[in-house]
Amino acid sequence: MTSLALFRGRTAVPLGLVAGLPLMLVAACVLTALYEPRFLRAANLMNVLRNASFLSVISAGQMMVMIVGGFDISVGAVVALTSVGTATALVFLAGWGLSGIGLLVLGCLAGLVPALLVGLCNGLLVSVGRISPFMVTIGTMSIASGLAAHFTGGSPIYGLPPFFLETLGNGRLAGVPGVVFFAAAVVLALWYLQCQSRGGRYFNAVGGNEKAARQTGIDTRTYICAAYVISALLAGLTGILLTARVGSGEATLGANLMLQSISVAVIAGVSLKGGVGKVQNIVLSSLFLSVLSNAMSLARIDSKYHVIVFGVVVLIAVWAEARGTRAEGSDA
Amino acid sequence: MMPVLSLDTTLPCEPGSQGKAARPLLQLDGICKSFGGFQALTDVTFDLRPGEVHVLFGENGAGKSTLIQILCGVQKFDSGRYELFGQDIAGLSPAEARRRGISVVFQEFSLIPEMTVEENLYLGHELTRAGRLDKSEMRTRVRVVLDRLGFDLSPAARVSGLRRAQQQMVEIAKALLLECRVLVLDEPTASLTDHEAGQLLAMVEQLRGEGLGIIYVSHRMAEIDRLADRITVLRDGRHIATLPRERASHGELVELMTGRTFEKFYPEIRRDPGPVRLRIEGLSLPRGLAKNVSFEVRGGEVLGLAGLAGCGKSEVIRAAFGLEKSSGGKIEIGGRRLYHHGPREAIAAGICYLPSDRSREGLAMHQSIGANATMAALDVPKFSRRGFGLRLKAERAFTSEIVDRLKIRTPDLDATPDQLSGGNKQKVMIARGMSRDFDIYLFDEPTVGVDVQAKLQIYDVIKALAESGKAVVVASSELAEVLHLSHRLLVMREGRIVGLLEGAEATEDAVLSLFFDKRAAKEERGIR
Amino acid sequence: MPKSLEHTPIRQRDALLQLALPVITLGMFVGFGLVEPAMLSAANVANVLKQGALFFFLAAAQLVALITRGFDLSVGACVSLVSVVASMAMTTVTVAAGPIAGVAAGIATGLLVGAVIGAINGALVAYGKINPFVATLATMSIFGGLSTTISGGFPIFDLPRTFTFAFNEAWWLFLPAPVTMAVLVGMALHFVLSSTAPGRVLYLLGDSPAAAHAAGLRVRLHLCLAYVASGLLAALGGLLMTAQIGSGEPNLGTNLVLGSIAAAVVGGASLRGGKGTVLAPALGSLLVIGLSVGMNLLQINGQLQPVVIGAILILGAAFDLLRARTR
Repeated sequence: MTSLALFRGRTAVPLGLVAGLPLMLVAACVLTALYEPRFLRAANLMNVLRNASFLSVISAGQMMVMIVGGFDISVGAVVALTSVGTATALVFLAGWGLSGIGLLVLGCLAGLVPALLVGLCNGLLVSVGRISPFMVTIGTMSIASGLAAHFTGGSPIYGLPPFFLETLGNGRLAGVPGVVFFAAAVVLALWYLQCQSRGGRYFNAVGGNEKAARQTGIDTRTYICAAYVISALLAGLTGILLTARVGSGEATLGANLMLQSISVAVIAGVSLKGGVGKVQNIVLSSLFLSVLSNAMSLARIDSKYHVIVFGVVVLIAVWAEARGTRAEGSDA
Repeated sequence: MMPVLSLDTTLPCEPGSQGKAARPLLQLDGICKSFGGFQALTDVTFDLRPGEVHVLFGENGAGKSTLIQILCGVQKFDSGRYELFGQDIAGLSPAEARRRGISVVFQEFSLIPEMTVEENLYLGHELTRAGRLDKSEMRTRVRVVLDRLGFDLSPAARVSGLRRAQQQMVEIAKALLLECRVLVLDEPTASLTDHEAGQLLAMVEQLRGEGLGIIYVSHRMAEIDRLADRITVLRDGRHIATLPRERASHGELVELMTGRTFEKFYPEIRRDPGPVRLRIEGLSLPRGLAKNVSFEVRGGEVLGLAGLAGCGKSEVIRAAFGLEKSSGGKIEIGGRRLYHHGPREAIAAGICYLPSDRSREGLAMHQSIGANATMAALDVPKFSRRGFGLRLKAERAFTSEIVDRLKIRTPDLDATPDQLSGGNKQKVMIARGMSRDFDIYLFDEPTVGVDVQAKLQIYDVIKALAESGKAVVVASSELAEVLHLSHRLLVMREGRIVGLLEGAEATEDAVLSLFFDKRAAKEERGIR
Repeated sequence: MPKSLEHTPIRQRDALLQLALPVITLGMFVGFGLVEPAMLSAANVANVLKQGALFFFLAAAQLVALITRGFDLSVGACVSLVSVVASMAMTTVTVAAGPIAGVAAGIATGLLVGAVIGAINGALVAYGKINPFVATLATMSIFGGLSTTISGGFPIFDLPRTFTFAFNEAWWLFLPAPVTMAVLVGMALHFVLSSTAPGRVLYLLGDSPAAAHAAGLRVRLHLCLAYVASGLLAALGGLLMTAQIGSGEPNLGTNLVLGSIAAAVVGGASLRGGKGTVLAPALGSLLVIGLSVGMNLLQINGQLQPVVIGAILILGAAFDLLRARTR
């Protein structure tokens, strides 16, 4: 009953492109398949799914921050920092003779520590320090990417334990890349948070009308801070998974992910003013962008054009949102 | 605290304990509060007993809102004593106040726009079962509350998509969803229809029967007649009187509210009507904010626009200035029709509009006094060469002239409005009216949140403008102000002009009967 | 806020905060000079001034957007695209009509590109009512992508010597060409911002758009013009940087956006709009470039420099907040 109520009960809000997102996704798939049947090959589809998974995880974090009315520019740098951190930790721990699951868990946890610190730093500076989220995260982005570059000294960290690469990087379950399951778990957890728990509502309340939320007795600072921590940890998870996929700890990993995560969130109808955003739409939006990008590759469009297309898609999405909210405002 | 439906549970205070013997729920003694230099409350005394409706009565800016904010912990008081349920209260947070059983319905919007009715009602107090939100239970309870209040709302509707009146209903339902012993309603019926208001009043009576203490702010005499047990009148931040309902006639209330001393307070403005400057014919605004409004103003006279908040008086002058879109009618300036447009065209045609919300629309708070005063005159040769190069010397001379003339109290000429007190901010905004040659002045609530001294100076400005042959329109919710300043007084209600009073006809009784009395309104409707 | 400042009158306190930055900048130079005397050598000072001048254009572009309570994240992409397109125009026309015409054509196209980028940003922000952050983020992606596709990802060589000489090596009025340009442009910008009606309107609308509209000012037009000005300033910076490098580079501006915001905000522009003079980008870029050059001289790992810039950014924003609170 309750899960049904999620889709049935609420009145639809005009959110620009979001209403048409499933349709756009289907259309993109059909058109691509018609243009290039190779799109439908299992290997290609798995590829699309894998990319969408990476995007979903990092964009889900971005969404949480945008819901509380901010931006997280530092996600890309956190991916790089985590990549470097995890690789260093794994190599170090393997040197101690650790192996197997123990090594995997300890290495990843150690790799997540810098991400957690960046998240806390962002969260505290924004919620307690009241500094503009844009400036804070742009600053921590600069710091995190500088540190990542410093630790690697410009060259990737090789020699990662094979077990790590086999399980997290190339592991498959029933033919589906392991990444997809990680993404599914993250999405489910956030869905539960958003739709089934008190806390999820408070994030939206804080972003929708902070003063009213505070008057209701919600500790707005905690929720703002938590959003940045969630975002950083999810970026960290993305960093670990990407490292396993790439096979080395790289300080340049995730350079495009900041822009892409904001694009995904904007296309998913997450409001720039805060208070609105659903993780289901993040999944659809990630799939849509991955299909689009795959289609361009299949059509042999130079990867340099991809950024341009993404930029245009984002502009259309925000423009649609701006129009939607204006129409709503004028008849309210 | 367990969330309980106050509507169908017995409250901690047994009904029937009302009367003189009952201990007050809350008691304020000698409360003072000032904002910057502005004394909002001076030595105010107030108490509320269980099972009574205590009406707070006074003009806008009399201190009602501040008093309520202190009661519910939104503002701290400077000095005095606050006793709640027999305990002394020093610092009270809003959340704490709510937990102790004070529910407030503010006029100000306190909902989360992107959330549903149900989510808003239970915000901060969600019901859970085994850690999961118990949505079906919450929905059922919300339905029960809405049904009992007789509000036609869907729990799943998104608040941003509701009409203002519906949003008001959500605010009221939110206050009543949780157990409460003190309920504060700040003009709850202002945006409700008669039918909805009737239901609300019935509900208030029922809650009183259950032993709640209710503080009710309203300007509507009919509601006061029906509900009030006691009435406290505030004026200029001071406690004027607390009367039982039986002893408070309309006339006496109005007298207490406005104060007799006010007669001397207002300047005598010479009336010397010249040619018609501004003519508005059949003006209508979308959403019924104004319906078929017509009037004209001559040079050398002051036209007052009176009416309760939300009657459309402000929207009408905003439309004349081009800040609101009209849906019909025409506006003529000095005989020439003004096709709107926007403020730019209006200013070029000689209209000066001084908005009521000075911090949002009136002033750029962090720019200098001079920049603010010349804001609407950057294209005038006096202040710029062909609208490009600024004449900064002329600007400075003008700034020091208006600081002198309007007695703006400022540390120096480079100060910014955010460093000034309310009255001085208002004067900086009014200085804009002297920056170029305007023919028509539209004042929207010219003395909101302004101290007495500044009020007098603003009245003097209005007098000087009118006597120098300008056409002046003053829209104000402060009755005494419009009554005494204007030569002719238009009264508006629900978007219509319901009366035109001139000279001896313009008395408080006459205006108030137009505010409140429907029959009188119908008789007057023919009048232009 | 130190306690001692609490009792000083508003003006004095403001003045103290105003003085803080020049003092810090000067202190930084002296500090580096004490540790490494080469910092204060004539050649190095000229170098800092030159680099600072190039950076000033981007920080000034950012200032204009910040005054309107906006952002311009596309300044970097603008620099790259201007560099590529102007170089292409310059080399083509030089072959056909000689170096003088080539340089003129290159500069003209460069400025045109800057103006068009600015106009697009302005239209999106002012008329499309799109959040400036997202609008310029998207155009950054678009124009950055354009500059790599147009150039094919490779630098454009063979710029006429006239160009690199006149706009980089030459000294104009006793100063290196870029410095003279920066001073002239800075003075012009200062005049526009402080002494003309359009400049005044930018501050007013950045402070309160509703009040500016109610005062009859053309808010959207001026907002749009602000982004055009921002694009033009970035284009000027792009042209001078191209002259310095000696080739059209598709990645020229990629890493300059952060620094430009840092410099403007540290210098005293406010994210809340309506604040900041030309001194902000001037002092801000001297500080950022001085730090970077100084760290190079002390042989601090180049990869740690972004860490310092990031810290400055956050400190600058905190400082900005402090200024707002003490008012």
